[in-house]
Amino acid sequence: MFSQILTWLILASSVLELVYLLYLAWSSTRVPKLVLSDVVHFLYPVDLSLLAGLLDPATDLQLRWSLSPRGYREEQRRRMRLYRQLLLRMAHNSSVLAEFDNAVRGYNNLVAGPGSKLQEAALNVRIYCTFARVRLRVWLSLPLCAFGVAPHGADLARLRKAATVDGLRAYEAMKTAAAEAFARLQPTELDALARNL
Amino acid sequence: MNPLVWYIPLGLLAILLGLLLRDRAYKVCPWFFAYVAFGVAADVARFLVRNHSQAYKATYWVTEAGYCILGILVMHEVFRAVLRARVWWTRLIFPIILLTAVVLSLAHAHAVPPQVGGLLYYIVAGEIAVRFVQVLIFVGLGALAAFFGLRWRQYPLGIAAGFGLYSTVALLSTIKFSDFGTRFQFWWDMTSVVSYSLAVLIWIWFFRAPQEEESPLDPELVARYTAVLEQYLKYIRRMR
Repeated sequence: MFSQILTWLILASSVLELVYLLYLAWSSTRVPKLVLSDVVHFLYPVDLSLLAGLLDPATDLQLRWSLSPRGYREEQRRRMRLYRQLLLRMAHNSSVLAEFDNAVRGYNNLVAGPGSKLQEAALNVRIYCTFARVRLRVWLSLPLCAFGVAPHGADLARLRKAATVDGLRAYEAMKTAAAEAFARLQPTELDALARNL
Repeated sequence: MNPLVWYIPLGLLAILLGLLLRDRAYKVCPWFFAYVAFGVAADVARFLVRNHSQAYKATYWVTEAGYCILGILVMHEVFRAVLRARVWWTRLIFPIILLTAVVLSLAHAHAVPPQVGGLLYYIVAGEIAVRFVQVLIFVGLGALAAFFGLRWRQYPLGIAAGFGLYSTVALLSTIKFSDFGTRFQFWWDMTSVVSYSLAVLIWIWFFRAPQEEESPLDPELVARYTAVLEQYLKYIRRMR
């Protein structure tokens, strides 16, 4: 019985995905193409110095020493919320840049291509953000006293790496890849980009 | 029905093989290339022995076993190409999918026993397991592509889409038509040929042009454009 339900669930998902692919193929001919100006304006600024500061183990240590246990927990929560916001922006930017890459390489050309460097870098950032956000969500859903049970578990420095991806490095790599993508643009497209900015 | 209809996939596979050779796609997807080459050879062999009952039966089952093995290897290739081992546990996903497929296939074989015995029983069960693997990987990669915004027009995702379509139809036919017994043999055969032909057409569409390879850029140029990008982003921040 269980195997039958599972089989039908798998098949239903597959059918839905096939319908989704058909929709993608249909919409790629209908929906207007993204223009670069649309993509660039969707980027959210990410303060990398703030990001590095939040992930600095010295800051964790300093706060632990200078604040009372309760004050430290509250401060960590505040920093976690801030970090979560940065993660949201990083994830958003990675999606936007992946879109940008798709726009540059052409949605509608029938040429298949491998994932570009920008796609790869954006994927790494997305993976990092997904896993880091899950960990943050768990910590933020716990009561304050939980911070006392695992005192070092709440250190933000531990979130520098998630799913074996170094968040800061991944984001820097994505920026470099985006710069490369800019370099691949035609002069007219660069002009259009500059005009729109 | 005209018996030549059964050989439509052979014609399409021959076209696909030509495209793979032209674009040297065997360097990118060697197992898929082997699968297509095997498919052409297997269909030619079946065609040649079609009038000899015993020889046809032997050729049919041997080539079916070959399809099973190559089908698994192709899916492993696709899986590795898309989901590179970033995290240690991603290496466990494929074996888990394989195990799930085997369990589901055995459960199905237990509920509706195939009308063959001995080695052929395992070939049939293996075929159903391979179809489950192909559907599961298609569903998983599709979900990943949607979530992470991956580009669909990649060879591995195209291969997965083709197998996904064919295997979904094949599994639906196997599960549903087995309820009706042998009365729907014609429709079972028909859906197989049509869905496999559609799958090969999907592959032809994906492989009709070579993959664009990115040429490495001059590091100085990259540094310059990084600065330009920073400048653009600074302008955007000021505008907000």
